Amino acid sequence: MFEYENKTDEEVVLYIQSKDQEVYFVIVERYQAKLMRYVNSILHDKAKIADILQETFIKAFINLRSFDNKKKFSSWIYRIAHNEAINAIKKNQKEVSFEEDFDIQSNEDITDNFEKKEIASKVEKCISKMSLIYSEPLILYGVEEKSYEEISDILRIPMGTVATRISRAKILMKNICQKN
Amino acid sequence: MSKELNKTTEDIMSKIHKRQIKMRPRAYFIFGYILAIAGLVFSFITSIFFVGITRFNLRSHGPMGEYRLEQLLSTFSWWMPLLAILGLITGIWLLRKYDFSYKINFKLLIIGLVASILLAGFVIDMTGLNDLWLNRGQGQGYRQGQIRKLNNISIPNNN
Repeated sequence: MFEYENKTDEEVVLYIQSKDQEVYFVIVERYQAKLMRYVNSILHDKAKIADILQETFIKAFINLRSFDNKKKFSSWIYRIAHNEAINAIKKNQKEVSFEEDFDIQSNEDITDNFEKKEIASKVEKCISKMSLIYSEPLILYGVEEKSYEEISDILRIPMGTVATRISRAKILMKNICQKN
Repeated sequence: MSKELNKTTEDIMSKIHKRQIKMRPRAYFIFGYILAIAGLVFSFITSIFFVGITRFNLRSHGPMGEYRLEQLLSTFSWWMPLLAILGLITGIWLLRKYDFSYKINFKLLIIGLVASILLAGFVIDMTGLNDLWLNRGQGQGYRQGQIRKLNNISIPNNN
């Protein structure tokens, strides 16, 4: 029996690639809440988010053997989710913001009390008014807790650009939030 | 929402279980890498060759230069630059598709590739490497073919 609890994503993926495909549920369970939150920061439609999430996991599974185990799995799967979300935006030709009453229940819920929930809601509103090129790196950095290097891998932009965009996003956010 | 998340897991695992979705074999990706690299190498070689031929065409005017240039242009194998452009586009498309192009700036890549092709073509032509190649092996056949084309000489049938 494969003890996956203490294994890293890369170790789990290696096991799925070479031994048992049924263990893929570990990856789905580890990432579905995170990816749902991330995709939600780009898109708005609940039904579409569920579809994108499913499509992301399916694509990741189909192409799992192309994943290089020396690299970070989270960057790889976030990149797929990013591509799927951007494709959905292109299809609809409209960019949408956070849904105000949309929340995700997970162990990592940061809005566990009213005060935090209110702050989170305000932050979401401010971020939603920003352009995607600034809001996406900021969410990856601030909410998803990704490093500059990981953001660079996910968005396929140089690390310097990541730093610049995050810095500009912080200024933009400050200006937007102060106006409201 | 947690119900929706559970449903996502169930749906995906059910598809895997029923084998409605399958992992692509590693060979599929290796083939992709090989195609991408081959595409780039091929476009590079043909482009250098094209630069060399172009420089040769441009400098070999002499008396009746205009007429000769017209003749050269009419007999020029236009599949070469077409193949080079096609190879370049295919190579970059494959690089993007197979996603191993971590942090590659494609604008810089194209500019760099075109610059290196022009430079390599120029250097090869200046150092006489192309003449060396034309005088040896397969190059001889190509040169004879070009001469035949220019002079409309048909190969006599020895039988």
